[in-house]
Amino acid sequence: MKKETRRVKASLAAGAAAFSLVLVACGGTDNGSEARGDANSGDSEVSGDITLLTPIYEGNEGKQLLEEELLPQFYEQYPEVTVTVDYTNFGSLNEKLTTAVASGLVPDVMMMGVGWIEAFASNGVLADLGEHGVTIDELSGDFTPEILEGGVWEGDLYAVPIMLDTRFGIARKDILAEAGFTEPPGSFEELREYAIALTERSDSGELERAGFDLLSMDLRQMYEVFLFANGGSLFNDDYTEPAFNSPEGVEALQFLVDLVQEDEVEDIGFSSTDIDVHPLLNGRAAMAVGHNNLWIQLQEAAPELADELMPFSITGTQPGMFFGGTLATVSSGSSHPEAAMALVEFLAGEEAALAANEQRGNVPARTALLDSEYVQSNPLVQFAMENLDVAQREGGVPQWLEIRGDFTPAVESALLGQKTAQEALDDLADGARAAMDR
Amino acid sequence: MTIKPPGTASEAASAARRRPRRSIPAGRKLRRAGWLMVAPALAHTILWIAIPVLATLVLSFTDYQVFRAPRWVALENYVELWNDDVFRKATWNTIVYTFFTVPVSMAVAVVIAVLLNQKLRGRTIYRAAFFLPQVTATVAIAMVWLWMYNPQYGLLNGLLSMVGVPRQIWLGDPSLALWSVIAVGIWQGIGMKMLIYLAALQNIDQNLYEAASIDGASKVQQFFSITLPMLKPATFFVFVISIIGAFQVFDQIYVLTDGGPANATTMMTYEVYRSAFQNFRMGMACAQSVVLFAFLIVLTVINRRLTGGDEK
Repeated sequence: MKKETRRVKASLAAGAAAFSLVLVACGGTDNGSEARGDANSGDSEVSGDITLLTPIYEGNEGKQLLEEELLPQFYEQYPEVTVTVDYTNFGSLNEKLTTAVASGLVPDVMMMGVGWIEAFASNGVLADLGEHGVTIDELSGDFTPEILEGGVWEGDLYAVPIMLDTRFGIARKDILAEAGFTEPPGSFEELREYAIALTERSDSGELERAGFDLLSMDLRQMYEVFLFANGGSLFNDDYTEPAFNSPEGVEALQFLVDLVQEDEVEDIGFSSTDIDVHPLLNGRAAMAVGHNNLWIQLQEAAPELADELMPFSITGTQPGMFFGGTLATVSSGSSHPEAAMALVEFLAGEEAALAANEQRGNVPARTALLDSEYVQSNPLVQFAMENLDVAQREGGVPQWLEIRGDFTPAVESALLGQKTAQEALDDLADGARAAMDR
Repeated sequence: MTIKPPGTASEAASAARRRPRRSIPAGRKLRRAGWLMVAPALAHTILWIAIPVLATLVLSFTDYQVFRAPRWVALENYVELWNDDVFRKATWNTIVYTFFTVPVSMAVAVVIAVLLNQKLRGRTIYRAAFFLPQVTATVAIAMVWLWMYNPQYGLLNGLLSMVGVPRQIWLGDPSLALWSVIAVGIWQGIGMKMLIYLAALQNIDQNLYEAASIDGASKVQQFFSITLPMLKPATFFVFVISIIGAFQVFDQIYVLTDGGPANATTMMTYEVYRSAFQNFRMGMACAQSVVLFAFLIVLTVINRRLTGGDEK
């Protein structure tokens, strides 16, 4: 835990705050934090020691960004606020939150993933941001409805999106060209055809290049991309029943099973989620479902391939793309809700969010940032932003965090042939139903 | 009425010596001192062991989901566990893991301890080398093993390919994954057991070996007739801590396999973790912990009976 303390003398800070207030008033930007400062009619009125729990701003670079660039700007605007930062990652976030809630020491500001809001909002851990002056209507111009919905529970806004993690198809243009393909696959059948043609094995039968890599991606997210592309959804419309074991869902999983078991476009064990270099970058795969931040890895590991990566929507009955992301929330038990709200709005504001996205190679949630230099210079992020209208998220029910943990073993059991696609998804649905009934 | 004149100081002192004490100062003082001395340990035990164990037991009968106050559900959690395929699989995996890691690592440890108890050149270095895995962070060890098990460029497949054996997917193949984890467990567990055995070996009276030699017993006979029986108390201790350690295996699974593939390597402790920190079901996690605790108690009692662990 790193304690960030404000070092600005009160008079300078007050001057800076007043100056920024004037800028806000004159500028009329739709930056949330600036708007909030205006609403408070004087930033020095907002005060208090608050805590921030964040799974982003990871590593030295992230910490440097937050502590040396972003928070000083925040302190200029809110000189009477002190922020204590608790860094974590998404893998440990649940543990942090669980112990925080159990001990009653819930951070004032918490960053969470898409699909997490429902659990925490439904149990009263999160503050309704509408009560602090930030409404869905106010934000609807800045975000697509699907993205905004990630922060909404039962019609109320509990979180403001900062960044998106998207998953979509990515192909190696040069490898496709070798096999005579100039366009990415436009349907499941084409995907299968391409994958078979692009798979390479040695004389002894050992896989040298996967036609389509499924295994470098978390299998839950991999499946969800195909589920969405096949017209399926995780739950029914009113979120009372699991729907991933619908015919569309089963067909999507069966397609993946066939790719592995029948078409043998990738062998189990050929890749995994903890690989150092993505197989698309070292030529061990021709196509894959990839994360938008693959571009960062490309720039570090194989910049010569910058023109060879070709993003595409996985398309079944419709184009499908998955998005997760990070949203900022305020604890319902915060002693300094105004200060916490100010920090949320600052971090979710255009400038801070853009910097955070750039550091992680992620997709800004705000549609206005499509035209930013960062987005325009990153083809994968640009592709994701241009196709956000087809992107779908996971979650929707308070029990999602429990249900999602069972997805990967279920998909694995189907890929390994231990269960049929129908059996795997039916068992998963039974578990989901039991969780939802509790 | 007569008034006794005051006596001299020596008379008073001797009277005091003669006067019987109103209590048992020596015994009481001793007891008080005893209580004072055990007080820190007692407070620690009550605060950090007894109360949490009791709380775990009570919470195991509740639906406690962190966000809300616990709700009494009686045996519901246990009924759910009984019908839970994944927990059943985790229990079986834990038993298999324990069944293979504990005896194998104990056998290897005792042999190594006997060897390192000889007057070998550089034996201190060997002892340190064998103990090193014990003091190294499991996460670091697991990372090294992850590299060794890597199907593409891992050391093990590299060695296998030199003798023409096809590449294995050590951690990705459900039929191999548990055995791969067990191998790591055996390797890591040898150090501590070896150390305990080594200490026990050095307490065996050398006259026994001399007498046996005079009687014509071979080294092997001495090992089975003197060394092993004399190591019985150490064996009981090693067995108990090994069983407990094996049943609590978590870090290896967390880093190596995440319980996969398809729950092939999930263990009881990993399921406790999942219930508590992924599913927010603290009541269920407590019930799973109680089941784990019950397993350990039963195994310890059985072992005590079998090995005569109560003998001094």
